[in-house]
Formats: sequence, structure tokens, C-alpha cells
Amino acid sequence: MGERLANRIKERRGELGLTQAELADRVGVTRKTVNTVENGVFTPSATLAIKLAGALGVSVERLFWIEG
Amino acid sequence: MNSRSAAERAEALGRRRARVLPFLAILLIAQQGTFFSNHPGADRPVDHFKIAAWLVLSAVILFALWTGGSWLQPKPVRELLNDETTQVHRAQAFRTAFLASMLGCIFLYFLTIWTHVDAREAVHIIMTIGLSAALLSFGYLERRAHRGE
Repeated sequence: MGERLANRIKERRGELGLTQAELADRVGVTRKTVNTVENGVFTPSATLAIKLAGALGVSVERLFWIEG
Repeated sequence: MNSRSAAERAEALGRRRARVLPFLAILLIAQQGTFFSNHPGADRPVDHFKIAAWLVLSAVILFALWTGGSWLQPKPVRELLNDETTQVHRAQAFRTAFLASMLGCIFLYFLTIWTHVDAREAVHIIMTIGLSAALLSFGYLERRAHRGE
């Protein structure tokens, strides 16, 4: 085990000039959810991962990858 | 209500909920102090009222944890207040509560070897352990999730 889902949400969000709250609004979740996914505290469902990737204009595979 | 104001409202209510949960656990535990300090022999109308108040509070907390609460909020706010992380946190809180309740049962089993524990006392102890564990766990997870940006 020891695998974790890493992501580049923060990096991509910065490129688009979006705050966590603005991204959350686009996806239809709270800022708290974006915060926990971004920090790797929470592993999102496939649905949320696809929505996040869509809102950030990248593929899911580019936004998320498995580490470890 | 537009989506922006719903998000802002949900954010504020979510933070408040995370702050209130531990205090609810303390209130629940404090009610047990009142119950056990008057027990046994608590048979006056006021004692029955106190027990009923505890039971109502416990049922409301259980129902709120089960359904996600915020019943008086508009649907968009309610949905945001019960989004994916919150649902996972509630599920985790119920797992913690189940484990704590079972450990409470084991504790009571051994306690009855040395002292008499009547059914009502046992119900009070197990429900309080379970609900307090759920509230504290849910509160901790929500506070952690709100931290930082």
C-alpha cells in the first residue's frame, strides 16, 4: 500500500487565476472540499475528479496521478 | 438565492457547524452528570422531564447526523452543506461511533461483574458514548477540512 493520489489542482488553478472558492463554485461543491482534495487529505470520487478536471480544462490523468 | 450567495452561506454555516459539534458533545455528556447524580430514585415529574429532554436531544442529534441536518436551509445551501467530503466525514463519524459504542458495551459487561447497572443506566451510557464519539469525530474532520487554503 502507501499509495496516494497526487494532483496539480493548485498549479492549474493558479494558471487560470482561480481561487478555491471560485473553483468550488464551478464544480458545485464547497471550498472545503476543494481544499481537502488539493491538499491530498481527501480522495475524490470519480465524478468529482472528472468535474474538477473539466472545470480546470485538463484531462483527469493530467490532473491526478498515483504516487508511491 | 444565486449560487454565489448559497456557496458563501454554506461556507459560513459549515464553519459554524464544525465549531458547535464539540460543544454539543459536552452538553450531552453534562446531561448525563445530572442524570447520574439524581439516580437512582429520580421519580419526580422534573426528573422525567430531564430524561425526556436528554432523549429528545439525543434523537435530534442522531437524526441530524443521519440526514445531514440543516433542514431549515434552502435546498442549494443544504446540498452544499452535505457535499462529498461532508458525506464521507459523516460516514467516518458513524464508524467511530459504532466502535466506541461497542467498546462501551464491553466496558459495561465487565462493570456488571462488580456492580449492578440497570437497563436505563446502560442505555444512557452507550447512547452518550456513541453520539459523543460521532459528534467529536465529525467536528474534528470538518475543522481539519476547513483549515488552510
